[in-house]
Amino acid sequence: MNQTDKPIANPIVVLRDEFDDWAVLFNPDTADAVGTNPVGVAVWKRMDGKKSLEDIVSEIKNSFEDTPDAAFKEIAAFVDRLAENGFVGLEVESK
Amino acid sequence: MPEELKDKIEPKASRVMRTPRKLDIDITARCNLRCRYCYFFNNPAVEYRDLPTEEWLRFFDELGSLGVMDVTLAGGEPFIREDLPVLLEGIVRNRMRFSFLSNGALIGDEIAAFIARTGRCGYVQVSVDGSCAAVHDTCRGHGAFNGAVRGIRTLSRYRVNVAVRVTIHRHNIDDLENIAHFLLEELGLPGFGANSAGYLGTCRLNADDVLLNIEERKEAMATLLRLAEKYPDRISASAGPLTDGRMWRRMEEARAQEKPAFHNGGRLTACGCPGSKISVRADGAIVPCNILAHVELGRINHDSLAEIWQNSPALNQLRNRHTIPLTGFEFCAGCSYIPYCTGNCPGLAYTITGQVDHPSPDACLQRFLDEGGTIP
Repeated sequence: MNQTDKPIANPIVVLRDEFDDWAVLFNPDTADAVGTNPVGVAVWKRMDGKKSLEDIVSEIKNSFEDTPDAAFKEIAAFVDRLAENGFVGLEVESK
Repeated sequence: MPEELKDKIEPKASRVMRTPRKLDIDITARCNLRCRYCYFFNNPAVEYRDLPTEEWLRFFDELGSLGVMDVTLAGGEPFIREDLPVLLEGIVRNRMRFSFLSNGALIGDEIAAFIARTGRCGYVQVSVDGSCAAVHDTCRGHGAFNGAVRGIRTLSRYRVNVAVRVTIHRHNIDDLENIAHFLLEELGLPGFGANSAGYLGTCRLNADDVLLNIEERKEAMATLLRLAEKYPDRISASAGPLTDGRMWRRMEEARAQEKPAFHNGGRLTACGCPGSKISVRADGAIVPCNILAHVELGRINHDSLAEIWQNSPALNQLRNRHTIPLTGFEFCAGCSYIPYCTGNCPGLAYTITGQVDHPSPDACLQRFLDEGGTIP
């Protein structure tokens, strides 16, 4: 089985809306928590294992005004950080 | 009414998160012990009865849907519930973590193994108030010490995180050195927390025999400050003599040097709990805190917790205590510590004065000094 480039949110992780549109991602298995802004929330909600990171960035650019050119890099770094902490995995290719 | 005027007349609560992060739940009103300073029993406002399993499971589903992260199960003695594994499964299923406040005596291998298997337990706090049965059992009853130590050892065997809480009172104040040695060196625990018996619940009936007098408070502060230096970062406290000793030293230094007011000083800023957590009594009443158990905000499975959390007038009034200046209280008249004081626990303020919106006399430095106390 090969990993795809399509991130998938760990289903055990809880997305907690906190103040305004900011949120906390909480992994009850490890007690780790990550705070995130509205863009991070939008990214999180799109990580369904069907969309690639490029697809997600493209959708984000369409949803938020004035998305900077560095958005892909920043979102990739955010997803990498989540992956390192077990919040995100990569979908496995089914044959 | 103009908006700006309305804000002055009806102050809105400070910015509040959408749902509570954490809940303190008295999962049972039953207990195997009758400790002489228990804050839980003998509260005339509380109905001491248990809810059936199904009620709690339904409520845990609601908590899961709100993204609550953590529940602390207390009581009563939470391990007295025969359905505890089913309740824990309900918590785990709803993607939450859990902790316990316990006397330790009912913790056996089976439940310890079950807790360990869930991987979701933050800690089990076990009360240990003496280095030996002769001290611990004075206020907790015969056999309590052996039960607590057995519980701690059982949990440790299954690698469940144990947190020990020492409640200081008149009968163990001379045993503090031994307690620290026993917990940290003999049992090898990483640390313990210390508070003192407060004028709450059963303690109110036994206050003269249990609560520390001024001389004993001085001694407890000095001993705990010394032990905290001997065992760095291994003795913690959020209330009681160690907290008082540390805080009062800072307040006295600030007053003597005429330093600017502390952040949140001079107003009823304590405590911050209603900003992130809420409590539920064993009978299902939702209350701001288990120390303010008389302030009923609603009932689980009848009232929406999110609605209560965001819009309850009583809860928002509690959150707005921070707007009340200490200078407005006759109790604080002439006090030079006001810029450094937060008014402390509203629960103790209520049990001592009958008013929630009042500084707690228990933690008042000026009163302590007026009655002959000194800061170590």
